[in-house]
Amino acid sequence: MTAALLELSHVSKTFGSGRPLARRRVPAVSDVSFALQTEVAEILTIVGQSGSGKTTLARMILGLDVPTEGHIRLLGHDVSRTLGKLARRFVLGTVQPVFQNPFEAFNPLRQLDYYLFLTARHFGAADDQQHAHNSADAALRQVGLSLSEIAGRYPHELSGGQLQRAAIARALLARPKLIVADEPVSMVDASLRMSIVNLFKTLRDELGISLIYITHDLATAYYISDRILIMHEGKVVESGDARTVLAAPQHPYSRRLKEAVLVPEFSSAQSI
Amino acid sequence: MTAAPTLAADSMRATTAQRPVLHVEDLKAYYRTRHFGVEREVKAVDGVTFEVRANEIYGLAGESSSGKSTLIKTIAAAMRPPLEIVGGTLAFSFFPGGKGLHQATSAELAAMRWRRLSYIMQGSMSVLNPVRRVRRSFEDFAGRHVRATVASFETHVREHLALVRLEPGVLDAYPHELSGGMRQRVTIALATICRPDFVIADEPTTALDVVVQKDVLDMIRNIQREMGSSLLLVTHDLGVHAYVTDRLAVMYAGRLVEEARTPELFSSPQHPYTRHLIASLPRIGDNTPRVSLTGSPPNLAAPPSGCRFHPRCPLAGDRCRRETPVMTASGPDHRVACFAVSGGTA
Repeated sequence: MTAALLELSHVSKTFGSGRPLARRRVPAVSDVSFALQTEVAEILTIVGQSGSGKTTLARMILGLDVPTEGHIRLLGHDVSRTLGKLARRFVLGTVQPVFQNPFEAFNPLRQLDYYLFLTARHFGAADDQQHAHNSADAALRQVGLSLSEIAGRYPHELSGGQLQRAAIARALLARPKLIVADEPVSMVDASLRMSIVNLFKTLRDELGISLIYITHDLATAYYISDRILIMHEGKVVESGDARTVLAAPQHPYSRRLKEAVLVPEFSSAQSI
Repeated sequence: MTAAPTLAADSMRATTAQRPVLHVEDLKAYYRTRHFGVEREVKAVDGVTFEVRANEIYGLAGESSSGKSTLIKTIAAAMRPPLEIVGGTLAFSFFPGGKGLHQATSAELAAMRWRRLSYIMQGSMSVLNPVRRVRRSFEDFAGRHVRATVASFETHVREHLALVRLEPGVLDAYPHELSGGMRQRVTIALATICRPDFVIADEPTTALDVVVQKDVLDMIRNIQREMGSSLLLVTHDLGVHAYVTDRLAVMYAGRLVEEARTPELFSSPQHPYTRHLIASLPRIGDNTPRVSLTGSPPNLAAPPSGCRFHPRCPLAGDRCRRETPVMTASGPDHRVACFAVSGGTA
């Protein structure tokens, strides 16, 4: 039996606050377990309101935070401890992040191709500049851009949608098996939002990359995800097949979340 | 609160119902900069015409850099250079002579702001002073507009807080002690305490959680209906518009492209951009693939010629590249700016 791509078993994280003698413990994530298989690429959505522990969970999967309890295994390796340089390399070669605001993810004073070449050389096994060029161009083409559009440009010169695509291309350069995307479309313009969402589907279907999609938007969650976890106050309150869960949520909180979705009345049949 | 004054106010409003509270005609507001003799113009609002009627919630939708914020700044006379009005007119019904606030003297402006026109802002944390109790914010915002003794001002504030379902206890709290939803209620209470004729709400629920968002929207609608004032609601979220607005206008690259009663805009959108926006909304229970527009929103420093949507429009023809479509009526209360829709050939 091959090791699961990602396996979380009873993961908890508590933050402390206050002075040493009057310390309060704030549980951010408590007792979360799930696994992603290596054989089938899938899109797992984590939904919840702010403060529900979604982002803390993502940070632990990326090796940026250490769980207080429980274990996180990536391809069988335990990564739930403070990581050394080699272990960090292994984690980032397997899991890559895409953040909410692409304008904050890139240094505004750096040209974008710098990040692409850097990732290509560190994780993409590009040993010289020419090789890095080629792989950067290939990655950008996968997201509908090309190196000639990006080379020498600064983040402010691109639209939010283009920049988010560039961020995804950078993640792809590391040839990850899993992408953790934290609210990747909430800063992207409405007319471009669906192109990013569709891109994630393409990555799953064509490159076999699994995705952990973190959002509070149930409508896009329904549209792209295979599996869903609904989090409330650090706990997973409901999980399962996305369509089944969202069609008939069982837990009272999931129901409240679904009722809060503002759905305009329209016929989706029309298009231009 | 007794019923009699409300009835009197209602009948008074009924007589003025014909007149729009705000009338905007061919408004042009540009950012003009000059560096080392090089002039640059960003046409953020370019020929916008609409009116906001009495006792309605008028929605304005558009993506980032479509000119929504510039339009609100111009309406509220909160312009700072390099933004300036280069053409068109604004007329408020409550301003004698039917002028826009940008033509008011600073004394007139001080008298009208908050009593006549107020503003609900997006970031409740940056509206309320973080080191002062909420009571002080009410004194700062409304104290000089509500001429009253200290005791009667306090009673007035408490009555108003009850309207937004907040305990009087919040007055003694600091902003960080309140939840996001409660803070946003406080800012709504602040904006409406003088019962203004016109309220601008700029992304009032964007910073809130989905679960809280609906409550706050319900409250905005209730308080608007209760006061009978007009509300201009600006947000990019079409779900919010569908939920609360009476009429809705869609803005693209500095111009309005379509305006209709909200249910009609969603049931029969006509402009290709509106049709795309509505068709691309994902829904629970609907699995059909959604498509995205090609290209990206235009740079307003060098907008495309003719119709600003033509580079991304599947219906664009030669005429769209040369001429600018104007908003034309395509039905009762429905206006659209598109050659392909308004009868002519594209």
